[in-house]
Amino acid sequence: MSPSRTQLPEKFLTLAEMMNIGDQDLARRKEFLEFGPDDEERLHKLAPLAVNYAEDVIEAFYEHLLKFEEMKAFFPDNATLARVKAKQKAYFIRLTQGKYDLDYVEERLKIGSVHEQIDLPVKSYLGMYSFYLREAWKHIFESDRAQPDELITTFFSLMKLVFMDISLTIDTYIDSRERTIKSLQQEAIRELSTPVLPFREGMLLLPIIGQIDSQRARQLTEHLLESIRANRARVIVIDITGVATVDSRVANHLVQTVEAARLMGAEVVISGISPEIALTMVTLGIDLGSVHTVGDLQNGIEHAEQLMGYKVKQFGEVNDKNYGDGA
Amino acid sequence: MKVPILKQGDFLIASIQGALTDTDLTSLQENLVSAVRKNRSKGVVVDVTVLDVMDSFAARTLRSISLMTRLMGANLVIVGIQPDVAFAMVQLGLKLEGTMTGLDLESGIAMLKAADQKQERGHNER
Repeated sequence: MSPSRTQLPEKFLTLAEMMNIGDQDLARRKEFLEFGPDDEERLHKLAPLAVNYAEDVIEAFYEHLLKFEEMKAFFPDNATLARVKAKQKAYFIRLTQGKYDLDYVEERLKIGSVHEQIDLPVKSYLGMYSFYLREAWKHIFESDRAQPDELITTFFSLMKLVFMDISLTIDTYIDSRERTIKSLQQEAIRELSTPVLPFREGMLLLPIIGQIDSQRARQLTEHLLESIRANRARVIVIDITGVATVDSRVANHLVQTVEAARLMGAEVVISGISPEIALTMVTLGIDLGSVHTVGDLQNGIEHAEQLMGYKVKQFGEVNDKNYGDGA
Repeated sequence: MKVPILKQGDFLIASIQGALTDTDLTSLQENLVSAVRKNRSKGVVVDVTVLDVMDSFAARTLRSISLMTRLMGANLVIVGIQPDVAFAMVQLGLKLEGTMTGLDLESGIAMLKAADQKQERGHNER
């Protein structure tokens, strides 16, 4: 047996690590938004004001939010509302607290994934940001009407950062959707239960499609062995045409299945070994020694018939007329 | 638990009735081999249908009985290995190499008959 290739991570991965967001990626994001030290400086100066207006913005924000029926569902009681408001306030204040590093990213991703998990639609999320920016702008604008240019630049800095947050949040949405789709796909493939088809007295056909992992290989073997007993099978053709890759683990499972079938008095023919798979097997030094292997399913069935002592004979010619009628 | 050995024409049938201790297995080996000799049997079926475990000693003993009877001119078929037992055995590396295995008593006897006929044909051709 080859040692298992999967290695357990030393610690749980952070969201940023799971989504491959590193220092470099963060730097690129900032570069693209033209978010630099000047912006950080301006946001820093904005901080006292931001802390001041946070409460008002939040109140206006939730007043707006709760006008919508679909939004009310997210706040079943006052306690939840109060808790979320406090979090939201902290979130807005954090925008002006500096240190926009990977830890900041991680915080933002966490918030994003929480919203994703409660199924908050992206449109509401974006709407909320838009509302926030407008509210914040009102407060910033009224703070010092003497220097409108300065205020606009500061507001732009805030906007850049908010857009970075938005991009991170949307990335969590996409990432999580992708994960869900992938796992659903795998489940579907797994659930395409491998059929065991009796195709002649005492002969079974077992086409395998998709990836084989340990769990599936085990199910497959159990299913096959039960079918041998139920159908009193003597010869089984396992067709692996639909298996993309065969590694040493899968090959090992195949050999085990073959051996187990033999213990129950049945012989196994493995068909559908493509040139690529043959090459991999030889390169990996996998020995299928005692197993009957043939190229394609046709050969597999012929070989199985031979083992059972059948001889198939064609009587007469193919009737062209009948042949075409099928369509 | 003692294993009864039944004579059926040219063949012997050893039908295991319940879990076997190591002593039972050893005495099965002795009894079977001497029964093959006494009856001049051409084949033996060992039915293990009731066994829900097969440890390494049992597998090794069955295999050596098979090799011994072959030396004495009788084929041996082990029949009735249950699916989960078969899988467990393979995982433990107990493959009963060189032994004939069959699905049940019926197919075991059919296999013995086929092997017997093959041998006879071989003789006739010579």
